[in-house]
Amino acid sequence: MSEATPSTDRTYSGISGEITGIPVAFPNVRAWWICFGFSLCLLLLFFISAGVLFRYGVGVWGNNIPVNWGLAISNYVWFLGIGHAGTLISALLLLVNAHWRNSLNRFAEAMTLFAVICAGLYPILHLGRPWLFYWMAPYPNSMAIWPQFKSPLTWDFFAVLTYLTVSVLFWYIGIVPDLAAVRDRAKKRRYQVFYGLFALGWRGSAHHWARWRQSYRLVAAIAVPLVVSVHSEISLLFAAGPIPGWASTVFPPYFVLGAAFSGFAVVAMLAVPLRHAFGLKDLVTERHLDLLAKFLLATGFMTAYGYVAEVYDVFYSGEQQEMATMMDRFSGAYAWSYWGAVIANFVPLQLLWFAAIRRNPILLFLISLSVVVGMWFERYMLLVSSLYRDYLVSSWGEYHASFWEWSLYAGMIGVFLVPFLLFVRFLPMISAFEVNEVLSKEKEAARG
Amino acid sequence: MEKAMELIRSRMSGQSGRDFWVKLDELASLPELSRLFSREENTGRPGALDISRRSFLKAFAASVAVSGAAGCSSNPDEKALPYVKSPDSEGPYEAAYYSTAVTFAGYAQPVVGKTYAGRPVKLEGNPDHPLTAGATDPFMQAALYGLYDPARSQTPKQNNRETSWGNFERAWVSRLAELDDASGEGLRLLTGHITSPTALRQLALLKKRWPRMRVHRLEVADGESRRGAASMAFDRELDQHLHLDAAETIISFNDDLLGPGPHQAANARKWAERRRGFRAGEGASTLFVAEPIPTLTGSRAQNRLLVSESRIGLLLARFTKALGINVAETQAALTQQEAQWLDLAIASARTNPLRTLITAGSHHSAEVQALAMLANERLGSSGTVLHYSEPIGLSERDPSTGSFGELLEDMEQDRVSHLLIFNCNPAYASPNAREFTEAVKNVDFILHGGLHFDETAQLSTWHTPLQHELETWSDARATDGTVSIIQPLVQPYYDVRSLHAVLSTIAGSPMDGRQIVEETWRNQWGGDFEQRWKDTLIAGYMEASAADPIRPKLFEREVWNAGESSDEDKLRLSIRPDPAIWDGRFSDIGWLQELPKPITKITWGNVVTISPAFALERQISNGDVVWVEGEDGGIAGPAWIMPGQADNTIGLTLGYGRSGGERLADGLGYDAYSMLSPKGSGAPRHVNLSATSEHEELATTQPNQDMGEYAFVRTFERGNPPLEEEPAEELPSFYPRQQWDSPSWGMSIDLDACIGCNACVVACMAENNVPVVGKELVAEGREMHWLRVDHYFAGDDLDPQSHFQPVPCMHCEDAPCEMGCPVNATVHTSDGLNMQVYNRCIGTRTCSSFCPYKVRRFNWFDYTGSDAEEIQAMRNPEVTVRDRGVMEKCSYCVQRISEARIEAKKEGRDIRDGEVRTACQQACPTQAIAFGDVVDPDTEVSKHKAEPRHYTLLKEVNTRPRTTYLARVKATRRRRCRDE
Repeated sequence: MSEATPSTDRTYSGISGEITGIPVAFPNVRAWWICFGFSLCLLLLFFISAGVLFRYGVGVWGNNIPVNWGLAISNYVWFLGIGHAGTLISALLLLVNAHWRNSLNRFAEAMTLFAVICAGLYPILHLGRPWLFYWMAPYPNSMAIWPQFKSPLTWDFFAVLTYLTVSVLFWYIGIVPDLAAVRDRAKKRRYQVFYGLFALGWRGSAHHWARWRQSYRLVAAIAVPLVVSVHSEISLLFAAGPIPGWASTVFPPYFVLGAAFSGFAVVAMLAVPLRHAFGLKDLVTERHLDLLAKFLLATGFMTAYGYVAEVYDVFYSGEQQEMATMMDRFSGAYAWSYWGAVIANFVPLQLLWFAAIRRNPILLFLISLSVVVGMWFERYMLLVSSLYRDYLVSSWGEYHASFWEWSLYAGMIGVFLVPFLLFVRFLPMISAFEVNEVLSKEKEAARG
Repeated sequence: MEKAMELIRSRMSGQSGRDFWVKLDELASLPELSRLFSREENTGRPGALDISRRSFLKAFAASVAVSGAAGCSSNPDEKALPYVKSPDSEGPYEAAYYSTAVTFAGYAQPVVGKTYAGRPVKLEGNPDHPLTAGATDPFMQAALYGLYDPARSQTPKQNNRETSWGNFERAWVSRLAELDDASGEGLRLLTGHITSPTALRQLALLKKRWPRMRVHRLEVADGESRRGAASMAFDRELDQHLHLDAAETIISFNDDLLGPGPHQAANARKWAERRRGFRAGEGASTLFVAEPIPTLTGSRAQNRLLVSESRIGLLLARFTKALGINVAETQAALTQQEAQWLDLAIASARTNPLRTLITAGSHHSAEVQALAMLANERLGSSGTVLHYSEPIGLSERDPSTGSFGELLEDMEQDRVSHLLIFNCNPAYASPNAREFTEAVKNVDFILHGGLHFDETAQLSTWHTPLQHELETWSDARATDGTVSIIQPLVQPYYDVRSLHAVLSTIAGSPMDGRQIVEETWRNQWGGDFEQRWKDTLIAGYMEASAADPIRPKLFEREVWNAGESSDEDKLRLSIRPDPAIWDGRFSDIGWLQELPKPITKITWGNVVTISPAFALERQISNGDVVWVEGEDGGIAGPAWIMPGQADNTIGLTLGYGRSGGERLADGLGYDAYSMLSPKGSGAPRHVNLSATSEHEELATTQPNQDMGEYAFVRTFERGNPPLEEEPAEELPSFYPRQQWDSPSWGMSIDLDACIGCNACVVACMAENNVPVVGKELVAEGREMHWLRVDHYFAGDDLDPQSHFQPVPCMHCEDAPCEMGCPVNATVHTSDGLNMQVYNRCIGTRTCSSFCPYKVRRFNWFDYTGSDAEEIQAMRNPEVTVRDRGVMEKCSYCVQRISEARIEAKKEGRDIRDGEVRTACQQACPTQAIAFGDVVDPDTEVSKHKAEPRHYTLLKEVNTRPRTTYLARVKATRRRRCRDE
């Protein structure tokens, strides 16, 4: 526990000051503005791409019959998968009392929140008539029609919405004590008012803490199974269809583990530059990186199991169409996405067997990047390689994403980065009180 | 509507003539009226009105007149006689049917036209017609689009500038004296093929006035050489009429009997009839085909010989020699395959000589075709499987009639002063377009009459726009000679006149089109006229008017000649009319441009087809632009590798390579006319082919045609156990087995009858308002066809078997699409239909992703909102026009089911079997499609489904489709040279 928690000679106010001081006396303002400016450009691109999409229709994308779904849906799955790591780190590790999480959970949760927003936007944008998306919601209406509850999409809608709600709650409940700390330290009136409002009158009384602890752990207990159920549900979007390469029972666990895998990679990718930029190396220590890397390695192997199970499944079944699809994934028009996924996901990953590499921020960043790209390939491969060649040879047809799909993807990264940078700029990005709590326990332990 | 009409009537009372129009113009801008009508539109009634000024005038001139505000013209033509209902019963939203005909290459295609409020919306085959019996082809189905074609010429032009009919009349009258003085010397009339008795009568009158006038015929793809062959065999020009229903063995020497052309519908119907007999165990149905390029006929052959065109003459010579005819000896030896095929063919012919039909392609030399005629005479099958008649329509036997070549020569020699051109386009659609374009400079006065302001019109002094057949009075003969009176379904929209009216102007005594046609028949019928005229109009054809059969005497000849040389090594061209737009005359018809060609499945353009071996040798792949070099000049077009094509043959099609004008065909494909040898259309020429570095993206609806190991199309050997045991072993399913009440709809498609002609596809587009999306979107896989005809190659890569499989929505009982849709936009009806609810659809496209058959089509853009007004007027008011962002698909023509249900309810009975006919079913010339109640075991469709050759496509997916197939049939006896 030693390295992943602050050293015992740190004072509580020192840690709180270090973290909560960032928003009110922001270091590296210049670098932040550069990043923010770049992200704003991406956000602008998002609005342009969405505008073109709404103006002319989904036809501006490269979708067709048979490949009805393309980048939008594979990115949806990808973004949502990324989000899951934040919940896992925060909620699961909270419940199992893994205290080292306290240095990572806040920004991991923020990452989850913004990734879910990105993910949630995609299915709406991809609709033929996006302005009617709310028809998926079960609300009393003059048409007297409910959603179709057998559809995986109906449950997607519920899943994403639920997940978003719970993520917001969990993140917000978690940040309240720190918002109070920022409020107390703020010198300027406007900061005091801003943080004061959102701190909800937090005074740190024992009652407050007792209530807070109850609610926080409760929401955490709700959030953890959601990770499993939400991404299992997303996998049904594919697995429920009778399409070769989709209709497989391995899909739910395969998707959940893949999600955790890609999510841990993104957390690592965010941790490395953040600890560097804000001098938080004593809070997000090498030990944290090491733990993240181990998680990455473990979930990576679970994901690899999914790959093996899928291949085994297909050849064991002996279904002609399933085998044709699998062979096509190995050597067909989209083999690059299959082998891209296999190589980018699992080859650099093997370096993490070595402790020195796990603790090397730059290498960890690069390996995580490779995993994120690899998981993107996987989502793309699962979607496109099944759809473009399904049962009837006559309906086969290739899909190539159009400019507007790529621009929307780039823009969506802006949708992710802009709020994330605002979060970094204006909110305590590491949970100061939780770190302090750990510190106090350490100190007590040291006193013996 | 009533309110609006009242308002109009009150403002319009007492107006007539010119004042009427002026007043109407004012009315158009009345705000209260537009308000009334936009409210009307919002109620979503069919035939909603666009309130732009122009359409207002158009629509209201008609409807105001009908409702009695003024009485200047009515719509439809008041003299037209409907097919079934009397016009009194026709409310604005009730359909009326008229039987009439459209023409193709001059021949009548009898139709029954459906109109709503005087607006034609769909053409069906005339089921009572003695020749076609309701059979249709894609061109006939698409004739409706020809009527509404926005590219049609709408006003007369003089030297490419708009003018009036009056000006033209004056200009012509001023020339009459000059022509009279010269007895018509220098006056020439060039026309496409004419079978219209009225037009022929008018031509005779013209010739009477101007004895030196000459008529020339230009019909490139008509196979004029057939008549030449008859003169060679029988020493007189004759037309050949095939009875494929009687032919138990057909030996086709590169003759695409079932392929596109004026004979397709009738041939296909009769062939299917024989095939039905064969399946029922009555006689044989054996088809031998020797051909260099896969055709629809070849795809149906039990014995297809892949052979170069240059070998056809030789094969036929050997064949006829075996029958004991003295044919000039040729040295060439047959290959083993050729000999084998020939032996089987001869054996088959000898088994049943009286029921054996020998034909040779009409693009072959007259000598070759004459040999085929000779063979039939020798077998004694002439009179049974075919008969001869006097030529139908315009014939060059008449000394005052000549060929296009003669005209061209005369023009070049400056012997032509006045040239009248009707219904043909020599400046584009002729082997000598370039020479013609040069030679017109020698002609003083050129009049062009046609539907379009085409290449020829642009060269002409005067252009007169003609009426489309659906808005004109005329007459025409079907290929068997049966006369149909053409009556208008609608008053012309534009300032156009009928061909007969223009010809009467030419003759110096302008008359109304209907009067001219009536006069033709009044002369023939005398006192009986009124009744026979009425009967003919109602029936759509004239009883017993087919050409009388002739038993011609064979010309005595010592030695017959096969004519063609066989130069094996050199590349040969094979040039055919395009299967979708023919010789270019249909190139403005969107439905046909977007119609996948039967074998290649390419749309919006033509390709240079080459054999797989040749492609491999030259390293050419699909879409690579190749340069085909002829004796003078060449063409550059995208290559297409065609399995089953002869290695030394290059296939081209006509009709493309147009330029100029904002027309659909602009910039598509290459122009193969320049490669035709000047004498005849299809004469083969030796060419060179070289690859270029360019590549062109082709818009094909089916890039993959190799069926591989799959059994999508199955073949059933007679006498074998059923393909699917019924009741079939149930695959496990989550869904409970449902009990369906009668009626519950289903369809069966007989692949043994399907010839892949595409009539069903066009019929579906017309019936269901399926939008045309254009080349780029088809290339992206976004075509909208609700019904597609898949084409597969199976077996040998170089010489495969061809299969066709029409695929509409399967209406699965356990439909994955319904499970996938989150908003209940695709649901099952109680009568077993899988329905798409457009209003409810939000466009998640899950249904299509989950569909194992990929029959769903998505509106990626707004395909319909910006349609031309004419195209909007063409739409079937019974079928919703789909908006952007919604899914659509085959509905089993639910509007027709509803109509039948309403009728049945009104009469208090159940819907009868056969009462509901889907558009595809009705269009099919071979009756391959059966539709009806699958719960009732006595319906046609249930009987089909009980047949041993019945099978379910992708049964393993277990969606329990309602559309199922009947396998192709092969005879049990093994007498094929290779597997089917």
